Amino acid sequence: MGYTDAFGSYHPTVNFLYFSLIFVFSMICMHPVFLMISLLSAVWYYITLRGAKAAGLILRGILPLFLITAFVNPAFSHAGQTRLCYLPTGNPLTLESIVYGCAAGMMLAAVLLWFACFSEVFTSDKFVYLFGRIIPAMSLVLSMTLRFVPRFKAQFDQVRQVQATLGRDTANGPLLKRIKNAVACFSIVVTWSMENALETADSMKSRGYGTARRTAYSIYRFTERDKTALCFLLFCGLFLLCGGISGSLYWRYFPSIRGVLIQPITIVLATVYFVFCSMPIYIDRKEVALWKKSLQSKA
Amino acid sequence: MKNILSLFLAIICIAGLCSCASLNSSPLTLAATVEIPESGIIKASVFDSLMQENKAGTFVGKSGEIRYTWIVFGSDIDEAKDRNLGIEITEAGREQITFRYLSGEDFGFFPVLSIYLNERWEAPHALVYAVTEDGNRGEEVCQAEITGSEHSILNFSPEVHTGTFTIALETEEETTQPETESTAPLEPEVPPETTAPPAPVQTQSPISDGNATGQDLYKTDPVPAGKPLPAEPEEQTVDTRKEYTCTFSIECSSIFNNLAILEPDKLDALPTNGVIFAAQTVTFYEGESVFDLLQRICRENNIHMESSWTPMYNSAYIEGIHNLYEFDCGSGSGWMYRVNSWYPNYGCSRYQLSPGDTVEWRYTCDLGADIGGANAIN
Repeated sequence: MGYTDAFGSYHPTVNFLYFSLIFVFSMICMHPVFLMISLLSAVWYYITLRGAKAAGLILRGILPLFLITAFVNPAFSHAGQTRLCYLPTGNPLTLESIVYGCAAGMMLAAVLLWFACFSEVFTSDKFVYLFGRIIPAMSLVLSMTLRFVPRFKAQFDQVRQVQATLGRDTANGPLLKRIKNAVACFSIVVTWSMENALETADSMKSRGYGTARRTAYSIYRFTERDKTALCFLLFCGLFLLCGGISGSLYWRYFPSIRGVLIQPITIVLATVYFVFCSMPIYIDRKEVALWKKSLQSKA
Repeated sequence: MKNILSLFLAIICIAGLCSCASLNSSPLTLAATVEIPESGIIKASVFDSLMQENKAGTFVGKSGEIRYTWIVFGSDIDEAKDRNLGIEITEAGREQITFRYLSGEDFGFFPVLSIYLNERWEAPHALVYAVTEDGNRGEEVCQAEITGSEHSILNFSPEVHTGTFTIALETEEETTQPETESTAPLEPEVPPETTAPPAPVQTQSPISDGNATGQDLYKTDPVPAGKPLPAEPEEQTVDTRKEYTCTFSIECSSIFNNLAILEPDKLDALPTNGVIFAAQTVTFYEGESVFDLLQRICRENNIHMESSWTPMYNSAYIEGIHNLYEFDCGSGSGWMYRVNSWYPNYGCSRYQLSPGDTVEWRYTCDLGADIGGANAIN
């Protein structure tokens, strides 16, 4: 398996609960401080997971998206009490709509990054483990579909190489011919995938699929540290939820920007939210430190 | 992990103590409705809580069969003291009502008083007159906006809270006719396309029945007789050398009758007297439409306004004024305009102003039914 991060080695329940809570809070809470915490943690965690590769996605994918959202909003939304100037359409450009655009962009960026982290950490075997019993057909189909994509890619690569030895190269030669060869390769792989699907069905039938309840082999064990982590997550979730209901996370952008900022309870909630968001980063760092320490003690 | 957790719990305990301190309620919120007792006296503590918590209070009273409300904004109150918000309806005649304040002094702020009548008044406005000591109708104090569909509601923000007043309909002599001549001395000859041309003789029902619609290019039903026809904005040229005047106002008193369904955040955008731009004589240039005038007035007076061009109706659509938008006060809410007591059945960019017109922008909470604009034909 080779986990790159220690948080991913926790029980799937912990992983799933963590990401569910993160998604809900990031999408619902429009308080700027909480958006900032969520976004920064997401960036940090994604860099921890992917290393230098993460910078590419953040700079080329997330940053332009954030900028577009921030700029497009004031072009279409003109509500707000602070007028900066008038646009050519005759409508005012307001500070509130610019700020709201930035906040919406931040939310979008944070949620997308959390989803990127989610797909990195929450692999399909974890999904099947968690939902195999509740929605067996669904989770089977999902895991098969997820497995199909890399498999199709690998098969295509293989077919392409074989075809290249036969003189039907897709990398060199005139463009039209290359396209023709590529289409031929694609056709071969599609035929293969259909054949493969029939084979899979036959194989499943011969092994008795559907005669009894499906079981799945899994190596996950709910240990003491998972219990601690789960309690911590539930506690954080409940605490933040209560804070949200009590109005301590109140923030509005229109018609004027108003909200609770330097209230003791809001500061505490922000601290809780920060600790909650950066939990996997903390776990990863601790694990790395432990590993280094163990290396030193051996030497 | 355990150390962190225990540290965390310690922080939470401190937080629990801190959270006991009440939240800073900076945004304006709606307070619970308060009944005005028979005596009319509201305790100082009620006003104090409105001030401290920055709330808008609704005070409901009843005199005889007629109900009335005061909408008081906490930010307006200067000092918390006992005040008498009671009024006594002494006479409720046909299209005339006389009332007396129970208070012996002015409130010190100017809340909106809404009187819920049991009959319907068919008029654009009502006027509030002071009643002199000998019981005669004295001078005109202010104008009351009439809202409500089945039963009319009179809304106004009185400046004096003592004495006796009569609310009655505007008398017929006070129409815009004399003003027309006096306000355009430079150019008495009004170009034919800007004045109200005689409407074509209508042989069929003015409302489309779906078969023979009689609608024009921009889906406008036939304009009632005697009302100006729409003028397409692209055919008009504004001539700033020719100046005329008209009366212009923006008001949203219908929201005060429907505060409970107003978007809570929009309470802050609500003018406490219900008037965004008080009726006054303004200058307009030849060729300007109602939309042009609204846009110019809003810019000159730094009033927020958002519009969007609607090609289907060849007109601008007013989405919001003063941050009060369409749908902010129920699904049937939005802005409508009335010129000379008539709600035109076409867009404001197509209404060419004539000297002496009375242009009013009014907020509706019920597709125009509550401000007398449900049917353009009447």
